[in-house]
Amino acid sequence: MKELLVSALGMGWGVLAVLAGLLVYHFTKGNRDGAFKVFIGMLATLMIFMAIANYKNNFFAESRLLPVSLVLITATTFMMALYFSNVSALLKIGGFMFLVAAALSGYGNWLPQVEGGFPPKEEKLQFDSMTSQQLADEGEKIIFGGIGQSSVQGAIGKGQCPLCHGFQKGFLSERAPNLFGLPERAEKERLTDPNYHKGEPQKRAYADKEACPGCGTATTVQEYIAESHACPNCYVAAGFGVKGTNDKESPMPKIHKPPISLSLPELAAVDTWLYVREGKEPPSYEDIIKSYEKFILEADRPKQQDDKAAGPTQLLADGTEPVDQIFAKAQCVVCHTIPGIPGATGTQGPKLEEGTNAPNRIHDSAYKGTAKTTPDYIMESIVSPSSYVVKGFPDNLMPKIFGQKLSAGALKKIVDYLSQVKAGAPPPKIS
Amino acid sequence: MGRQNGKKIWSIMALGAMMAILLLPVATSLNALASGGGEAPPAPAVKAEGDKKDEAKVEKGRDVYYKTEGIVAGAPAPKTTDGTKDYPRYNFESRVLLWFANQQHLYYGSFVLAVPIFCMIIEFMGVVTKDKAMAKKYDQLAYDFIKISLTAYSLTAILGGILIFTFLTLYPAFFGYLSSIFRPVMHIYALMFVAESGTLYIYYYGWDKMKEGLLKWIHLSMSVILNVIGTVLMMLANSWIGFMMSPAGVDEQGRFLGNIWHVIHTALWNPLNVHRILGNMAFGGGVVAAYAAYRFLSAKTDEERAHYDWMGYIAMALAVAFLIPLPFAGYWLMREVYAYRQQMGITLMGGLLAWLFIIQATMIGILFLSTNYYLWQALGRMRGAEKYQRYIKYLVFVLVVGFLVFITPHTMVMTPAELKAMGGQQHPVLGNYGVMSAKNGGINVIITTTVLSFVWYMRGNKEPMVPWKKFGNIFMGTFFGLAYVNIIWLAIYGYYIPANVRVGLSVPQVATTLSCLFFMTALNGVMLKGAKQMGPIEWGKISARSQYAIIMLATAFTWMMGLMGYIRSSVRLFWHVNEIMRDNSPWAYTHTVGFAANMISFNVLFFWVSILFVFWLGTLGAKKAPVEAKAHAPGRVPEPAHGH
Repeated sequence: MKELLVSALGMGWGVLAVLAGLLVYHFTKGNRDGAFKVFIGMLATLMIFMAIANYKNNFFAESRLLPVSLVLITATTFMMALYFSNVSALLKIGGFMFLVAAALSGYGNWLPQVEGGFPPKEEKLQFDSMTSQQLADEGEKIIFGGIGQSSVQGAIGKGQCPLCHGFQKGFLSERAPNLFGLPERAEKERLTDPNYHKGEPQKRAYADKEACPGCGTATTVQEYIAESHACPNCYVAAGFGVKGTNDKESPMPKIHKPPISLSLPELAAVDTWLYVREGKEPPSYEDIIKSYEKFILEADRPKQQDDKAAGPTQLLADGTEPVDQIFAKAQCVVCHTIPGIPGATGTQGPKLEEGTNAPNRIHDSAYKGTAKTTPDYIMESIVSPSSYVVKGFPDNLMPKIFGQKLSAGALKKIVDYLSQVKAGAPPPKIS
Repeated sequence: MGRQNGKKIWSIMALGAMMAILLLPVATSLNALASGGGEAPPAPAVKAEGDKKDEAKVEKGRDVYYKTEGIVAGAPAPKTTDGTKDYPRYNFESRVLLWFANQQHLYYGSFVLAVPIFCMIIEFMGVVTKDKAMAKKYDQLAYDFIKISLTAYSLTAILGGILIFTFLTLYPAFFGYLSSIFRPVMHIYALMFVAESGTLYIYYYGWDKMKEGLLKWIHLSMSVILNVIGTVLMMLANSWIGFMMSPAGVDEQGRFLGNIWHVIHTALWNPLNVHRILGNMAFGGGVVAAYAAYRFLSAKTDEERAHYDWMGYIAMALAVAFLIPLPFAGYWLMREVYAYRQQMGITLMGGLLAWLFIIQATMIGILFLSTNYYLWQALGRMRGAEKYQRYIKYLVFVLVVGFLVFITPHTMVMTPAELKAMGGQQHPVLGNYGVMSAKNGGINVIITTTVLSFVWYMRGNKEPMVPWKKFGNIFMGTFFGLAYVNIIWLAIYGYYIPANVRVGLSVPQVATTLSCLFFMTALNGVMLKGAKQMGPIEWGKISARSQYAIIMLATAFTWMMGLMGYIRSSVRLFWHVNEIMRDNSPWAYTHTVGFAANMISFNVLFFWVSILFVFWLGTLGAKKAPVEAKAHAPGRVPEPAHGH
């Protein structure tokens, strides 16, 4: 409580001093009513600053104490409303609205926090020189986001297939067919289905008859899989069509088109995984590519170079990584010692205990920056390192490119972490 | 009578002529542009020669949505890179700045578009009502409404300017592309804005001059024109966001194919239009109700309290009336989203953004709970309504149970330790209440209970006198009882059948709820014809707590609007224009739920602080005292249709 009061006075002394001046003025004029109102104003100001101090002090620590600020501010407005009758309704309404909005905010922060990462990076992989197993591993990454992830519920990769398809035996797949056993089923059920009209695409009753003019139908299992990907509307498994179309139209997107835009080699990897995970011998990489070339015209194949140029891949870290990896990727660990970060033992730059250092440096006479708070100071030090150069260390040693080379998410993670590092205290948790 | 009809015909003709003149530029430009980019066809003599030359040059593209072929008439969507050229920035997240500017403009825009619709309805009620005191009362109320929106109107324009500057300075490449596609639409939008302003000023400043006879009908007709223009304005603005979510009229590279109608009329345009009109109305009603609550709480006299109590009631009733169909419009929008791109729908409802829908469920629950609380409080200003007070505790119980079921999540994001402790991603007991079957039951129970509260409110101070009163009461009781049984039974039955069949159960559940809403309120109305009055509605004698329910409702509307707008916008993920123009800024990721909630709260509070300031400014100006309906006894001042 004492700490909170000191912190509040430290922040709000300016306003309180003005109000104290007003108080003296009213006293000297003998205006008791005015003096009393100023006194109430001082009390309200102190409560508001205590609320802010509590919020600030507990932001990274005891989150359950944050609602205290909310209650303090609301109570302040209602207290003010008692004494300032001309704006009483406004104060009460404002206080109540603040309570509602802040409570909803708290609710939003209490729920599990999921942050959507950046679009997946394009990696230069030589699919054509991979073994079947390597190809299948890449396929699993595309479908589920990582090797071994196929058995994890909710795992999803660039291909987004598990959003609709089931992949495990017996798994209930309601939106799209379960793909377990597809190679066998394709041969025994799909290609022989009278509705498929193998070799006679014009007889088909689906929304599309062929993937492209003259493409024809599939004749092999692999071609069937390729055709399903290239032209989901050429054949729709019974019961899985768009509602109201009598299974004539499929809800599945063409995955070689945006937004998924799988390239032919990536599609080959996906298909290879479908065979390999069931212990079946997959067709060769070249055969799979040929099967897709049959159904996807040259002009419709995704151009990987364009995507690459467009992607935000120039970043050192995109913010989806844990903070220790961000420090490592941005090479901070080479020059700085950062408590709690493995390998961060550099000595060319100062030790980063910014929870302690930043408040002192902001008040240093040599400080030329504009930051008023610890997070602002850290952000400024990263994007504009010359704003303050710690004594004993040379200027212009730290690169000035991090504002462009780190994403906003990555910068935020660094700032959040470093704000919590205090001299003599245990390092914060890595998140 | 004949003279009156003549006036009506004249006013309708005047209205038609004015509308035709105002909408003429839109019709002509759209027709011209739809048939080929707005350029005049070449003269026949030179056409044949030109054809040969141009054939080689003409490049055709295929519309990404309509699948039609068109002549390429624009540049491809720019491929931006992360740098200050495409994304100039301050030392702050540009997206957040744009979010703020956009949301504030939208709040004010929605408000100033919704209020004239209320004015039109209320002014019309004033014109057609036979009770002169009431007619004056309605007229004054409509005038009060438009007065509030007038100050907000200039703020809307200022915020629109700020929004455009924010776009131009922080997202020049994206805005450049969007304006290259929508160039003619943007010009029409600006013209419509001028027309809207002109009509609004004539409408407002001509109020006193045009208060009687034919002039009054012309004045009323102008409110129709005002709303037609306002709605067209909103629909044009919706076409931009519709294009960003579900582009059409361009090829895969984003090149305009010459048909502006395709660009406007995208897959999601119409559902967005309907959803936004209803949403604006509910929101506008909420803001006006909050204004009335503010005036009620700061009122110094009984007359003022009575007037603003009534005003709050009317505004709230309008807000709730538009709130009820809103979920159905939302359902249509989501259906179209799923039909357009299934992944988009899943990202919304079952993927990255699903937790935001849990917040939405909470908000819907809060809205209905506040509405019920207000109605129960309102029973207090009616003599004879005491008989219903003792049953309210049961309604509270039913509502709370429905609410808790409605907000229970099914699958939770957990740490491995939590996962292990719980034994799976679903809670062994609670998870069962988080599935759609239970949720549908929960929300339908909530809405049906709200209808029941409203029926009680209508009956508060009245005793039906129709000869079949007993039968009517038993019928109503049985109808409500069976409705609850049907809703809950179908919710339970849903657990025993496959998902694709279960989806269909929502139809009979919703039908049951709507039957209660329409049939029971209608039957109640019939039963109350010639009913015995137990006592007057004592306007102004409602508790102050009820006004906080209104404020809660208004704040919750505002918050929900911010939330749903955020969801709609962030579903594009890392695309400026879905699948056409990629967002390569450093902010192409989706924020956490917590960050979004903080930002929404900030926007909501900023809006309310600014609009409360507008309200306060309004009280500083020359006050037009509320009209006292001297024909009535004190405390019985306003009495809208059916006494409510």
